[in-house]
Amino acid sequence: MSSTHEHEVEVAGVRHSFRVQGRQVPALDRIDLTIQPGELVTLAGPSGCGKTTLLRLVAGFMQPSEGAVRVGTRPVRGPGIERGVVFQQPTLFPWLSVQRNVELGPRLRGRSKQERAETAHRYLELVGLSDVAGHRPYELSGGMQQRAQIARVLANDPEIVLMDEPFGALDALTRERLQNELLEIWRATGKTILFITHSVDEAVFLGSRVLVMSPRPGRIVLDEPAVFGTPGHLVPPEEIRALPDYVDLRERVRVAIQQREPAAGGAPA
Amino acid sequence: MLNQGARRAVLHATSLLGFLLLWWLVTHFELVRPLFLRGPGEVWDAFVRANTDHPISAGSDRMVRGEQNYYLWEHLLASLQRIAIGVGGGIVVGVPLGLVMGTTWLGTLLEPYLNFLRSLPPLAYIGLLIVWFGIGDTSKIWLLFLAAFPPITMATISGVRGVRDDQVNAVLSLGASRRQALTTVMLPATLPEVLTGIRVAVGFAWTTVVAAEIANGIPGIGGLAYLAGQQLQTALVLACILVIGLSAIALDLGLKSLEKALVPWRGKA
Ligand SMILES: Nc1ncnc2c1ncn2[C@@H]1O[C@H](COP(=O)(O)OP(=O)(O)O)[C@@H](O)[C@H]1O
Ligand SMILES: [Mg+2]
Repeated sequence: MSSTHEHEVEVAGVRHSFRVQGRQVPALDRIDLTIQPGELVTLAGPSGCGKTTLLRLVAGFMQPSEGAVRVGTRPVRGPGIERGVVFQQPTLFPWLSVQRNVELGPRLRGRSKQERAETAHRYLELVGLSDVAGHRPYELSGGMQQRAQIARVLANDPEIVLMDEPFGALDALTRERLQNELLEIWRATGKTILFITHSVDEAVFLGSRVLVMSPRPGRIVLDEPAVFGTPGHLVPPEEIRALPDYVDLRERVRVAIQQREPAAGGAPA
Repeated sequence: MLNQGARRAVLHATSLLGFLLLWWLVTHFELVRPLFLRGPGEVWDAFVRANTDHPISAGSDRMVRGEQNYYLWEHLLASLQRIAIGVGGGIVVGVPLGLVMGTTWLGTLLEPYLNFLRSLPPLAYIGLLIVWFGIGDTSKIWLLFLAAFPPITMATISGVRGVRDDQVNAVLSLGASRRQALTTVMLPATLPEVLTGIRVAVGFAWTTVVAAEIANGIPGIGGLAYLAGQQLQTALVLACILVIGLSAIALDLGLKSLEKALVPWRGKA
């Protein structure tokens, strides 16, 4: 992949600060990152380090204070159909049924009713929600809402999927199921995925490449390939988690997350 | 054991009977002078008389229609019609205005004027409207329009400003144009507040129309109540008051159930 691919994500020299009560508070220090098409990049870091900020910059919800975000060669100026976003809070529309939520993307592009219904059915089945297609989102549990949101994004067939701690609020069992589902979807579709998590285990288990961000202002302090979720690695999850390589990488990620810059004021550790 | 609904119904029925009994006792034993308060039976008679053709005076065979040549329900309908036109205009103007004010700098510019208009009791400017539009229906409808559109506009503004950014971001990421984002997200997300605004406006318009009909308000339920008072027909005044109050409650209940039907997600998402 020497030439710039059409859907390569490039974050170049990005800094970002928020204005809080008249003061500029830095959230991202200096991020340089290129995500190749087909990568499943997991991004871990302590809460408040700027993970969401980075994702929102890539999504085009805001512009960086400094630097640039590009997809292919085009600078990101706003949200775009090629970048699907799975929000931390399931952002479904309560005035639409679950199915109508899932077929919203195709509907906006003027697809026929029948085509939309077929697409919706396919993705609702994929996430195991076929039987609640006619329900309203608020009639579903949090985990089901999150799955519906994922189905809505996938039904729109974006080349790049940005996911912000999508499984963060789920119970352990559902979470594990969805992790496996996500890996299967990724293997089947070859989509580019940026997956944010605060769980070390999740980052290492899912990623084809694992990033770790430092505490605020966020910088990328670890960037390593991981192979545990990649195709060909069809070992059952329990066995993967017992592999020495897995345990080893998980430890390195854990240490990287806990590492603190020496505090500016010299506060004792 | 009765269920809760039945117990409440019994409670309300008992208190209503108690009230009627007290009213009947007070008037039957003339604890209050009949000029000031008539009994339930006489009020009912006045109500029936006002809804039928009856002799102009006892023994005469010249028949008249209801009161002031209109049946009571026609008086009521006339007032309701004024409200419908006034509030209808308020919706047609208030909702688009609120959308524009909620999304652009026009909001900051125009909000003080809107607040000023809203804080005026409408009867304060009826004199001016009579000078402009005459004593007839036109000035009353303008009055109701001016009473109705500020609360509707304000509610729309607060609805628009309350739309979660991420709901808009979500639909833009699905590939929506700005116009599609407006129709598929902004409008439905604002609907609950708009409906509340309409309910407030109808209540406000109702009190306003009844008061405004003091001047040249026949047909009109407020006009009839005022005229009956001038002619010392206490029973008819009381009948009008009951009709005015019950209509207001019925209107509000009707709008409430409309809200329930149109925004079943209210308070749930
Ligand atoms: N809209 C905002 N306004 C002000 N500060 C913000 C805003 N969004 C995020 N921040 C701050 O930026 C830092 C990074 O936030 P965020 O990207 O949400 O972290 P993470 O997702 O890693 O938990 C935090 O300190 C947060 O308080
Ligand atoms: Mg976050």
